[in-house]
Amino acid sequence: MEEDFISPVFYFENEVKSPLKSFAESDTVQLPEVEVFTAPLDKYTFGQRVQTINERDLESFQGLAFAEYLQQRTGLFLRQYGPGMLASLTMRGTSAGHNAVFWNGLPINSPSLGQADFSILPVGGFDQAVVHFGSSGALYGTDAIGGAIHLNNKLRFGEGHQAQVSTLAGSFGRWNQQVQYGFSNYKFATRSRFYRNFFQNDFPFRNLSKIGTPMERQQNSRVEQWGIMQDLAWNLNSKNQISSSIWWNTTDRQIQPVIGSNTNDTQQDQNLRWVLDYFHFEKNKTWNAKAGLVRDELIFNVGSINQTTQYFLSGDLDWEMHPKWNSKSGLRYTYIVGNLSTYEATDSRLELYQSTNFQPNEKLSFSMNLRQLVYEGNWAPFTPSLGAEWKIWRNKVHFIQLKAAFARSFKVPTLNDRFWEPGGNPDLESERSWSGEIGLKHVFAKNKFQFEQQITHYRMSVDNWIIWLPNGSFWSPQNIRKVNNSGLEYFLDITQQLGLWEMGLSGNYAWNLAINQTNISENDRSKGKQLPYTPEHKIQSMFSVEKGVFSSFLNTQWVGERFVATDNASKLDPYQLWDVGANYRWSLGKKISGNLGAQINNLFNTEYQILRLRAMPGRNYQFNLNIIL
Amino acid sequence: MNKLRLLTALWVIGFFVISCTDDGPEIPLGELEQGVLIVNEGAFGANDGEVFHYDPASGDVKANIFESKNGRPFAGLIQDLVEAEGRTYLVANTGKVEVVDPKDFASLGAVDSDLNISRSIAVANQKLYISDYGPYDANFNSPNSYVAVVNGLNGGTVAKKIPVASRPEELIVAGNFLYVACAAAKKLQVISLATDAVTSSQDVEGTPSKLRIIDGRLYLFARDAGNIYFHEINRNNFNIQTTIKIPLANATSNFAMGDGGDVFVITSSGWPDYNDAVAKVSLNTAQIVNPSLFTGSGFYGIGFHAENKVIYIGDNNGWQGNGTILIINGAGQQIKKLDAGRGPSGFIFK
Repeated sequence: MEEDFISPVFYFENEVKSPLKSFAESDTVQLPEVEVFTAPLDKYTFGQRVQTINERDLESFQGLAFAEYLQQRTGLFLRQYGPGMLASLTMRGTSAGHNAVFWNGLPINSPSLGQADFSILPVGGFDQAVVHFGSSGALYGTDAIGGAIHLNNKLRFGEGHQAQVSTLAGSFGRWNQQVQYGFSNYKFATRSRFYRNFFQNDFPFRNLSKIGTPMERQQNSRVEQWGIMQDLAWNLNSKNQISSSIWWNTTDRQIQPVIGSNTNDTQQDQNLRWVLDYFHFEKNKTWNAKAGLVRDELIFNVGSINQTTQYFLSGDLDWEMHPKWNSKSGLRYTYIVGNLSTYEATDSRLELYQSTNFQPNEKLSFSMNLRQLVYEGNWAPFTPSLGAEWKIWRNKVHFIQLKAAFARSFKVPTLNDRFWEPGGNPDLESERSWSGEIGLKHVFAKNKFQFEQQITHYRMSVDNWIIWLPNGSFWSPQNIRKVNNSGLEYFLDITQQLGLWEMGLSGNYAWNLAINQTNISENDRSKGKQLPYTPEHKIQSMFSVEKGVFSSFLNTQWVGERFVATDNASKLDPYQLWDVGANYRWSLGKKISGNLGAQINNLFNTEYQILRLRAMPGRNYQFNLNIIL
Repeated sequence: MNKLRLLTALWVIGFFVISCTDDGPEIPLGELEQGVLIVNEGAFGANDGEVFHYDPASGDVKANIFESKNGRPFAGLIQDLVEAEGRTYLVANTGKVEVVDPKDFASLGAVDSDLNISRSIAVANQKLYISDYGPYDANFNSPNSYVAVVNGLNGGTVAKKIPVASRPEELIVAGNFLYVACAAAKKLQVISLATDAVTSSQDVEGTPSKLRIIDGRLYLFARDAGNIYFHEINRNNFNIQTTIKIPLANATSNFAMGDGGDVFVITSSGWPDYNDAVAKVSLNTAQIVNPSLFTGSGFYGIGFHAENKVIYIGDNNGWQGNGTILIINGAGQQIKKLDAGRGPSGFIFK
């Protein structure tokens, strides 16, 4: 958790806000715009890093998959099966299912597949994203072994009428539109949004499977997507608030074949997510009751249907017991119904959690989280976590902080793991991990120069890792693998103001070792090897310049070699991509404003593959325009 | 004396000429024309099929011989490797056939359009005959299977598609006819090479997959849950004239011909034990000689090295990474282990 401290130059990476309280306490005075209350995500996360991606960061990605943002602008690596195609995230060298993904506090990993596809989470379906680096199962529940991603809506009170039209056009038939209308006073807020994203995706690629490796246009890779979102919030009175969001997203895709194949697969995804929050504020206490529904339907080639519905009910109390002690206690009930072509199943889960913050003095902060989940009478591993931050040293310009965290996490076997016909294994145990990390944060701020860096070293061991193995004529999952992960994360953020000019340099470096500890058979050669498609190194950096209404950037990412399979016998070459872009903020009178942006991706037309034989586009262009009324 | 010298010289020259004539010009065999070719099918969705070369004399394994020579990946799943007319045909079930030089695997040509799920190939009359499942229908059945005809030994475009029964596998040329094993339809079909049309079609017992000429007789291999069948085909009327039925349960379609009518068949027990084995059966007695000559898991391809009297088994290692080749002797003892590519599925012994 990043914490505020004296110097006003320092910005707060994650401000802990309770806007309604300030509103309630001063409701006769002039009121600023206030956000609808959401439980602060980073409150019980001392010892770990939580990074916020704001609306402005996401602006030039309008309608693009969130996968694109994470791949281009962070040190995280996503296994992307082509532009617009399945994109799964790996955090700290864990598998795609080892990170928890939330939308407004609801877990949205598919309960049947056990993971989220970041290619069908379009930018525009949420306002802000928060990345929690590191094991956090005690805080979030199942799946959060490598980390967690939160997608949140940020509705505001007191804004009056506001309309927004956004559009993005790009190479290879990309055409995204979004319209939004919102109204809010201090009592009530509503916002409606509609978007449509179209991507013909017929980029030229080198067909390596043919003699002479001719350049051809990609076939069967079109993506069409549209969705609607509605947010509502209502201040019943100064002590009670109700808010609700609903998001319906549908994606109709042709599945880009692997180079050398001529498949014409298609996939339709429909995702409905609804959340209802009730907050009751008392002095030093915030009560929250939450209900939600997440319904995912994936139809592959018409015939194969994967439909799951999750119902959530949860309640918790966040309580400042003492200036030095904070506590949050709660429980969540989840009922899951899976209706798939190959099986039908239900699953009910109950989990109890307790989070405690203790800040004995100015310099020391501790978080302790505990969680126990029970599913269908099976006890998932009890997960405790402990984190601490120590402000070692501070003067007028320097600030040094030491962080440490220790956590146990788990992943409940997915519905497919347990019930798939044939092969599902109902006797599977939860995957479980132990992890420890230590980090150092250093901030230097003088005049108009700010330098912030953070380095974290982690070690983790994941056991009972489930893999599917061929067993006779079909495949079946087993708790067979053990993986030791270790690595380093480095974050850098520099800003310098020179008169009207503002310059920024940010960087991320991730070093992830994910070493398999098990051979699944006598002849297996996986032991001691790096997990497939888990780059040991990724570097991302962005340089930006801003002057008044103009801004521009140069961004690069370098991804190290990736092994194709567990035995590390073959690998893909490292690649580096450069993107450059410019943005202009404009206004017409007082009522109309907006921004206009242009961007060149893959500036040097680099031929690369993220995954073997999955074609990726060369140099391409995009333009975006936002108009706010 | 001079005459004797002359005669001797003539005799020596004559001997030399005769021996040259007998042996043909002495072109040394290429590295890939000796030893063992290991066909690695590749993993579904990864298109990482490749061919490895193993030299039993030196013990050297040369990986990825297609990509090494041609500077591009094979980019397909290798369903079959067939040598004919001085060429090697690599059939990808991802819809292409690559034609390479057996000496060094240099690309000679390809059939890379108009195929769907190609399975095997036969060559006759300067034409290629490629069995293909055809496109799947909505329920993943293959009602539009065909044998594609390509004019030209180095590939090219598909000139004709001969409709055949569902899911043709191996095909073999015998006389002026092409025999096709149609697995899903459980049929043996015969195509006339004179007309390139199906002239005979008949049901067979079991799921047919392979065709072999053994001791001059043409056999169709088929299997079901409890038996394997070697149907002997009468080449005059295309009927099954006799069937050798061997009660071997859980057989896969992977088998290798041994010596003296012995056949080595991979079996897999499936649920709940998932034990794989190499069974030895006899065509002469129609009996199982040994149901588990060698046991393990992940057995995929099998081959019999007639010269060394050893059996090569491809272990797919659970498809998590590359496979392993296990070499066993006739008594079922493992004598060697080699690293192979993804899903080793077959062997060509030179």
